[in-house]
Amino acid sequence: MKMTDPNDDMLDGLFAQAREIAPPVSDRLMDRVLVDAVPPQRHNAARPGFWSGLLDVVGGWSAIGGLVTAMLAGFWIGVAPPSAVTDFTAGLLGDTVTVHLGSASGLADFGGLEDG
Amino acid sequence: MSIAPDPDAGIPDEALLIAFANGDAQAARSLAARLLPRVLAQATRMLFDRAEAEDVAQDAMMRLWKVAPDWRQDEAQVSTWLYRVVANLCTDRLRKRRGGVPLDQVAEPADDAPSVAAQMQTAARMRALSDGLAQLPERQAQAVSLRHLEGLSNPEIAQIMDISVRSVESLTARGKRALADIMAGRRAELGYEDD
Repeated sequence: MKMTDPNDDMLDGLFAQAREIAPPVSDRLMDRVLVDAVPPQRHNAARPGFWSGLLDVVGGWSAIGGLVTAMLAGFWIGVAPPSAVTDFTAGLLGDTVTVHLGSASGLADFGGLEDG
Repeated sequence: MSIAPDPDAGIPDEALLIAFANGDAQAARSLAARLLPRVLAQATRMLFDRAEAEDVAQDAMMRLWKVAPDWRQDEAQVSTWLYRVVANLCTDRLRKRRGGVPLDQVAEPADDAPSVAAQMQTAARMRALSDGLAQLPERQAQAVSLRHLEGLSNPEIAQIMDISVRSVESLTARGKRALADIMAGRRAELGYEDD
């Protein structure tokens, strides 16, 4: 007949008592746990790219709309200036402005130096 | 507390966790109702301190919510993961308990309970068992608690602790032996001399 160690018996008895422990979950604890249950952001969510970053810098799509409108208006004024614009530039600069940046004779002078 | 019937009964924990990560609040309620009783029981058996066990249970569930977005369905079972987290959190607390805390934290039963002395003796024994676990090396305490307090098999413990079955056998054998020696010194105090 196998002898059992009284200390082992005591420990086995304590283990058995401990396994019986099944504390009820209080409403307070359940509330604490559910308050914490906020879905976090996914760590692998796509990071903003260059274009979306640029969009943020200039102020979003509404700002892009204003920029495009201003660009088209400027282009059209350049192609077909309204009379108010031509009158304004004529008054400021004179009717015709000609600017000479160089001349054929000047180039010839350079050529003469090379020959000499 | 009375827990309402689980409307997600039949859906695996892992699928509910992923649903929670995708914003399903009902999935969180179902998971909490399903898992929290077992988490609290494991913590209470190891710590035998209601307030500490509730803090551990809340902490473990908080970690579950946080890990939800990165959970891969084929990676692990939620229950296995929780056993590991609770065991680790409890051994952290047991480590801080080393150095001697008197048994004055044992919950006292109501005075009009029919067997006050018996309840107090059981509480003192459970607290002594918990203090005994605190004296063991942490891995031994975890293996012993999972084997003898949770009643898990060695292969299950091996998966939880991420070690071989042979290592589990070694840890539980050495841990139980050491715990028996520790508890032997408290036989009379715990009322075992007359048993």
